[in-house]
Amino acid sequence: MHEIRAEIAANVWQVVVDEGQLIAEGDELVILESMKMEIPVVTEVPGVVRELHVQPDDVVQEGDLIALIDES
Amino acid sequence: MGGSELVARQHSLNKLTVRERLELLIDPGTWVEFGLLADSMDSAYEGRYLAADGAVTGLGAIDGRRVAVAAYDFTVLAGSMGRVGEQKIQRMRELALRQRIPMIWLLDSAGARIQSQSGSTFAGMGDLFREQVTMSGVVPMVAAILGHCAAGTAYIPGLADFVPMVKGTSSMALGGRHLVKAAVGEDVTEEEMGGSAVHTRVSGCADFEVADDRECLAVVKEYLSFFPSNNREDPPIRPTGDPADRLVPELYGIVPTAPRRAYDIRRVVNAVVDDGRVLWIKPDWAKNIVTGLARIAGRPIGVVANQPMVLGGALDVNAADKAARFVWLCDAFNISLVFLHDVPGFIVGSTVERQGIIRHGAKMLFAVSEATVPKVSVVLRKSYGAGYFVMNGYAYEPDYIVAWPTAEIAVMGPDGAVNIIHRRTLEAVPEEERPQRRLELAEEIRRNIDPFVAAGHALVDDVIDPAETRVAIARGLELARDKQVVRPWRKHGVLPV
Repeated sequence: MHEIRAEIAANVWQVVVDEGQLIAEGDELVILESMKMEIPVVTEVPGVVRELHVQPDDVVQEGDLIALIDES
Repeated sequence: MGGSELVARQHSLNKLTVRERLELLIDPGTWVEFGLLADSMDSAYEGRYLAADGAVTGLGAIDGRRVAVAAYDFTVLAGSMGRVGEQKIQRMRELALRQRIPMIWLLDSAGARIQSQSGSTFAGMGDLFREQVTMSGVVPMVAAILGHCAAGTAYIPGLADFVPMVKGTSSMALGGRHLVKAAVGEDVTEEEMGGSAVHTRVSGCADFEVADDRECLAVVKEYLSFFPSNNREDPPIRPTGDPADRLVPELYGIVPTAPRRAYDIRRVVNAVVDDGRVLWIKPDWAKNIVTGLARIAGRPIGVVANQPMVLGGALDVNAADKAARFVWLCDAFNISLVFLHDVPGFIVGSTVERQGIIRHGAKMLFAVSEATVPKVSVVLRKSYGAGYFVMNGYAYEPDYIVAWPTAEIAVMGPDGAVNIIHRRTLEAVPEEERPQRRLELAEEIRRNIDPFVAAGHALVDDVIDPAETRVAIARGLELARDKQVVRPWRKHGVLPV
């Protein structure tokens, strides 16, 4: 299982994918909002979104789990 | 080399031999070998011939310009550093410095030959690193990592200017696997500890990951094509069919006008420079800023650009570190600098403070302030706070600074500023009216954040159509070609690191 974690303390602005969705490398999963910028969170691996750990208006800290990707 | 069996083993590891590497690196017919007849001359290896003592050294040309090369031969006692081999390499350093030509290491070495150096004669060693420090900024230094390098051969890249690493077959670590197990009890492979994935993505110790030896040597040649042979010369100009006055209307489609929207700044750089060619330096580390070598009107430039795709382009400790080092590199070798601004500022908060953002940010301020090469700045969209300073704002002696109509230069964005400037006003307003009032006050602030306000105060030299970005950079560099900056004498500054 590939973990996607926040690289910066931020507000969750949009969740772009759903659990169970098939995704390709480089796809946007979530858009964070920090430093007055939209910060896309992209996956570096293809697979299926197994778990989403955030929803809009959540606050995440650097290192918080955002999603789990099933690479198989 | 160390015999056909070990040569076959080298090939089976997907590595080229030291001779094959030199053949790919050096122009045909130009190689002059020094110390071919060397042996270990060590009683510990009595009766055994150690070819060239495991280090091939000589002078040859790359694209017609002379360089000095020290190439470790892994087929001879795992490329370990023997006394004679190191003496040969010392001679290369000496000749490189005396002749003012680049020094290249092809590293594939297990490190010190402990068998013959385990005693306290060690007390006299280490000259190689001190000499590298003397060479730094005088001649270009490239350390290509083509095998597993431990200890001694891991500090050579630590002091070199450019460090490409081969994926899968190379590593560098201060302690090799066996030493690490004995010293700290950690059971880890060379690849896990110091492979290219670690050093090009996590530690920032290497500059570029390549697929194999062949690509590695090609990238060494490409890197050197941007550099003069030494700090007293100008970098070589490469003629191009790409006109300096080419308009770049594709930038309208690449950069969103909405200031919060992300995009890939690398596409902007590619669109602007000669023939779209960029050699990115540290492309996989601190990706919130991009640094690359390219050309405009044939002349080499170093590009420093914020990357809105990653962390919104906000600067953190590693981004400041990466940019500062790149600026120092270009400045040392007379390579002009081009800054493309799109930066919301330095990241704030307790995490970055604990990481020492102040001293890392100061390092970037230091490097940019110190640089005396021609400097051109283009403000694309946001450029806020100290982010504007470290990207070579007006006060940092740009030779030409221009802004797009979408530029926003200010101490901070209106949404942040409103909370500070109008905190009391907002507190006095009934809570339900507060969001509306906040928007109105932010809008008042926003009206003053405008490139025409900066231009009205003559704090940017011009406001340009984005399509004219390449023309403007070429013009700025050409105007500053003969610039001279004289600073007060000092031994050296006190560097924030």
